Amino acid sequence: MKNFVNLNVNPCKMCMPMGSITAFYGVSKCMTILHGSQGCATYIRRHMATHFNEPIDVASSSLTEEGAVFGGEKNLIKGLDNLIKLYDPEVIGISTTCLAETIGEDTEGIVARYREARPDLRARIVTVQSAGYAGTQFEGFFRTLRALVEQTEQDATPNGRVNIVTGQISPADTRWLKGFVAAHGIDAIFLPDLSENLDGGHAEVYERLPSGGTPIADVAKMAGARATVELCTFYDEAYSPGAFLNNHFGVPLFRAALPTSLKDVDALAGILVGLGGRQNAAPTTNAKSNVGAACSRPPDAVNRARLRRLDAMVDSHKQNAQARAAVFGEPDFVYATCRLLVENGAMPVVAATGSVCPDFREKLAEVIAEVQGFHLGENPFIADDCDFTQIETAALEQRANVLIGSSDGRRISEKTGIPLVRCAFPIHDHVGGQRVRTLGYEGGLMLLDQVTNAVISGVETTFREELKGRYYHPSDSDHDASSASKVLSFSGQARESSKPRETALQAGDPVKGHPCFCGCEGARAARIHLPVAAGCNIQCGYCVRKYDCVNESRPGVTSGVLTPEAALARYLAARETIENLNVVGIAGPGDALASPAATLETLRLVREADKDVLFCLSTNGLALPEHIDALAALGLTHLTVTVNAVDPKIGARIYQHVDYRGMRLEGEAGAAALLANKFAGLARAKALGMQIKVNTVLLPGVNDAHVPEIMRAVKETGCVLSNIMPMIPVEGSALAHLGKADLAEVDRLRALCEADLPQMRHCAHCRADAAGPLGHDVPLPSALAEGKAS
Amino acid sequence: MDAKDKVLDKYSAKVYKNRKAHILEVGQAPEEQEIAANTRSIPGIMTNRGCCYAGCKGVVIGPLKDTLTIVHGPIGCSYYAWGTRRNKARADEGSFTQYCFSTDLQETDIVFGGEKKLRQAIKEGLELFKPRALMICSTCPVGLIGDDIHAVASETEAEYGIPCIAFSCEGYKGVSQSAGHHIANNGIMRKVIGTGDKIPRVKHSVNLLGEYNIGGDGWETERLLKRVGYDVIAVLTGDGSYEDLTKADRAELNLVQCHRSINYIAEMMKTKFGTDWVKVNFIGIDASIQSLRDVAEYFGDEELKKRTEEVIEDELAEIAEERDYYREKLTGKTAALYVGGSRSHHYQYLLKDFGVKTVLAGHEFAHRDDYEGRRVIPDIKEDADSKNIESITVEPDKERYEDKYTEAEREKLRKVIPLEDYKGIIPDMEAGGVVVDDLNHYETEAFLAELKPDIFLSGVKDKYILQKSGAVSRQLHSYDYSGPYAGFRGAINFARDIAMGIYAPAWKYVTPPWKTEPVLQAAFVNDTPEPETADAADAPKESEVTNA
Repeated sequence: MKNFVNLNVNPCKMCMPMGSITAFYGVSKCMTILHGSQGCATYIRRHMATHFNEPIDVASSSLTEEGAVFGGEKNLIKGLDNLIKLYDPEVIGISTTCLAETIGEDTEGIVARYREARPDLRARIVTVQSAGYAGTQFEGFFRTLRALVEQTEQDATPNGRVNIVTGQISPADTRWLKGFVAAHGIDAIFLPDLSENLDGGHAEVYERLPSGGTPIADVAKMAGARATVELCTFYDEAYSPGAFLNNHFGVPLFRAALPTSLKDVDALAGILVGLGGRQNAAPTTNAKSNVGAACSRPPDAVNRARLRRLDAMVDSHKQNAQARAAVFGEPDFVYATCRLLVENGAMPVVAATGSVCPDFREKLAEVIAEVQGFHLGENPFIADDCDFTQIETAALEQRANVLIGSSDGRRISEKTGIPLVRCAFPIHDHVGGQRVRTLGYEGGLMLLDQVTNAVISGVETTFREELKGRYYHPSDSDHDASSASKVLSFSGQARESSKPRETALQAGDPVKGHPCFCGCEGARAARIHLPVAAGCNIQCGYCVRKYDCVNESRPGVTSGVLTPEAALARYLAARETIENLNVVGIAGPGDALASPAATLETLRLVREADKDVLFCLSTNGLALPEHIDALAALGLTHLTVTVNAVDPKIGARIYQHVDYRGMRLEGEAGAAALLANKFAGLARAKALGMQIKVNTVLLPGVNDAHVPEIMRAVKETGCVLSNIMPMIPVEGSALAHLGKADLAEVDRLRALCEADLPQMRHCAHCRADAAGPLGHDVPLPSALAEGKAS
Repeated sequence: MDAKDKVLDKYSAKVYKNRKAHILEVGQAPEEQEIAANTRSIPGIMTNRGCCYAGCKGVVIGPLKDTLTIVHGPIGCSYYAWGTRRNKARADEGSFTQYCFSTDLQETDIVFGGEKKLRQAIKEGLELFKPRALMICSTCPVGLIGDDIHAVASETEAEYGIPCIAFSCEGYKGVSQSAGHHIANNGIMRKVIGTGDKIPRVKHSVNLLGEYNIGGDGWETERLLKRVGYDVIAVLTGDGSYEDLTKADRAELNLVQCHRSINYIAEMMKTKFGTDWVKVNFIGIDASIQSLRDVAEYFGDEELKKRTEEVIEDELAEIAEERDYYREKLTGKTAALYVGGSRSHHYQYLLKDFGVKTVLAGHEFAHRDDYEGRRVIPDIKEDADSKNIESITVEPDKERYEDKYTEAEREKLRKVIPLEDYKGIIPDMEAGGVVVDDLNHYETEAFLAELKPDIFLSGVKDKYILQKSGAVSRQLHSYDYSGPYAGFRGAINFARDIAMGIYAPAWKYVTPPWKTEPVLQAAFVNDTPEPETADAADAPKESEVTNA
């Protein structure tokens, strides 16, 4: 996979102010003002409102060019004044943006002066440095929590309470967490508490200043708590509220992962039991108490929920073990979710975060190692600082069957058909983002059930087709119809089948052979072109490549490029509907060997599923010497090479440039390199016993007189069939002005060359995604067109 | 005290003075019918406006589907503009609108400059995606650290032989998205329109300007135009492409849907290529009919006029039954509108088709001419913010300039069709209607309480406040995943969506029964507290009856 270090394509992260605003929403009667250009506030309000389905009110200091040049103090002060006048908040959060940080605003200084000038100021102002370029929403969130604790005068008088610090968990999960902690008899201060402000009820009178959330008076008591429990795995000491309270006030700090997996809910319960709140009622007989002494056990209801969870885990373990999940999102979310997967025997094949997170790889590898013990030979993709392009590539390479994360994964899901379980911020295309449950014995199970069901649906809708494709060979019953037991045979130990293939090939059998090579018009043999090779390595003068390559006649046109997996699926499906589908060809839409990985992988997958089908490939020959042996090893028997000139001088008029091994060759140099490689490749193909066809595009005034010479040259390479095709002038191509060769001229040349080489006269100018007998393309159902790679 | 005064009452003296100028009531003395617009938003008051970048990348450039647009800046700006507007695009020829490209600047890039990263990103983008053209949009920090994106664009053109246009649309420029529209218009005019082959102008051909194909509106409009017999050369820019834009000068007439975001191009094309423009509106049944007739009138072709009437008749017949049904359902309701530049005007026609009266219309980023009509343009004073946005002048193109009509003929046409004219929103509103520029969060709530519209059409930022207040909301930026709303069929989609909102069963449950009706309550004989169970609710007959 190419690592695009400079271009982020489809980001798997947002910016710091987003996290900062979200955190401030967990504080009671708090309003936030973004110091910067007003677009930041507008964009973030829009994204949060869409996820939470709640009004999101964020003010802006609305800096314009003047503010950017002369400083934004005036605007920020005006903004604070207006915010206070209209909303009278108890807390004001000021989060800075890229603009404020780039011009070096001294926000704290401005606030100090502001306080001084307004001695009757009631609102507590908390400032956060949250430049968008300095981190993601994950960092913005924790920086804000830290700022809240640090910038609130703390009362360290012991109050017997417990601080619970979380990352961005859903309002519904927050409500669960509050209940869970309370059930342990613990009086807690939650920072933040998103439960109400981001998931409120229908109220006729809209509460302009959100009163849910943690009162700032409670934040001021955090230093007097008897402990802090921080539910965060990838913490940064400098931005950890728990670390601050521990360092400055000696509040003991416990850390735990987000309680999604059974073991992590257990761990949290263990901490809470250890902190010993009110002791619970009568012990149950079947409750397993493995945490602490017998007197400190989790409450009854908690125990019952745990047992239900365990019961469900046993019930669905068979399905879960088939899950190959790609998990993406904030580091803590990915960590907690992977812990859930592995304890259920599911394989996290991709674990990725958009944040820069140095110990992500190591910690995730540790988590996944648990399940690698019983999944053979897995090598999961784990990475931080990822974009969705990398995640998509990894998910395909790792054959993921479920995606888990935010709704931003929907584009991959649409493209690849891998189902997406939406369970993290943001969820923009579905409702219910605010009600997502992933925490606790029940919440973790709700997530697990969704994953399990996604896997079940996947199996349910595809397994018949897949099994049939893999194990059922119609020819078995053809050969021995009486023996029903022979209908199913495992392809791994399939019958020796090279014989019929050879026979068909040599005899040019119109039914079993290759529709191009058998030379019979109206042949019943069918072929399918799998459009997997997008790129091209040369520029022909008659070809305009925009997205599709119209390289070589009108081949090159396709309605979409497929991934190798999707191509396999298309082949397997096509085999069911098209009679005598003997040939799988790769003909672009670019050059088959300009994307050798996609081409070879496709052929490998098809060969795995079908030992008998003939392989054919069409190329300009530039990369042929490098790959011809690999192609032969996969069983390629039919090769088409385009030869439009055997003289570099003429070639130079046809090829604008040739990209070879990182160099762009133009003019005769390019044509010569192309020519040399073509013939080297053809020679090797002959030695390997391949059936070779040569295509020649007839370019009036350029190579028409040269055609007989081409024929003689290619004949020597072992070519068995020639296909002279008139150029199709394509608007905007360099040679479009030549116009289309007159058909009589084509016929004349074919007749002239017939003496040297048999001529193909039934060419149908196939598209790169054609399927069916020549000239009778079968429209594949649209479902088969899924999985486009571009 | 009228609604306007009540709303303003809460403000401090300074803010009062400022905001008063942005609000007017239609039908008062003529001297009060002037509105302040396109000035800075007040800090701290939640404006719904976006930034310059949003107007350039998000609105105008973003929909070009064959173009790879790299956002040069920190990740957020690019992320937040990713799929944010529902400008649909057919993907059959490939489309980059599903993608989001960013240089993802980091702290070190801000310190040491980001040009190198941008160059590299361009190289990577071109290698992988092979677009028709490349655009670079800059964001706040890029403008401040002084990366020369225009130089990078020129280098890119020279090195890769691909058109590359840079837009200095930093978020802090101007006072709203409007600045970004202007910057995008300038770039497109300068470098794209009129660079294609100079084919002869096609008879009865048009461009559709300021149609962003939200929810498929552009497709429905195109369908109508093509049905009559027009050739649509380019759409700016919904489901549009760079390729089409290069040929836009080959059209005979520009149809301007969204005046605010695209009038610069309409004006400049008039000067440079002689292309006339008319203001159209395909939102609303009667409006669509009028626009179709105006366009036919412009071409003056009798057959075309006849064909226009046939199409109108046929389209009307198709929707007749539904139109009557929804009209009956909606007549007498009132609506408030708060959208960007032109929708607050256009949708009044559509609402009127169904008997709904508009009581408030707000614009996010309009200029005075959008409210009062183009006649006020000479009187608009430039301020420091508008001066910062480059205004380019173009000259007639010697090769490509063509006049369809003489000035005398145009003068005649002006009397019957809105040729090069837009009368603005105010003349179309009934007396007593309120017009607000840059309506903010507080005012939305306050006007809602004062005017109590049944329907409030705006965006996602206000949607949930409105719904909590019991108003039917519909997002006119995204159509709440519905649409199209344009043309005849679109009008029915819209009416159905509004009726569905008004008659949603959920509203019936807003007030719980124990607040309105005598409710049967169960009293338990013993003291054991029991949870609320079905038994308690089902056994009222034996219980005492109390008024809750």
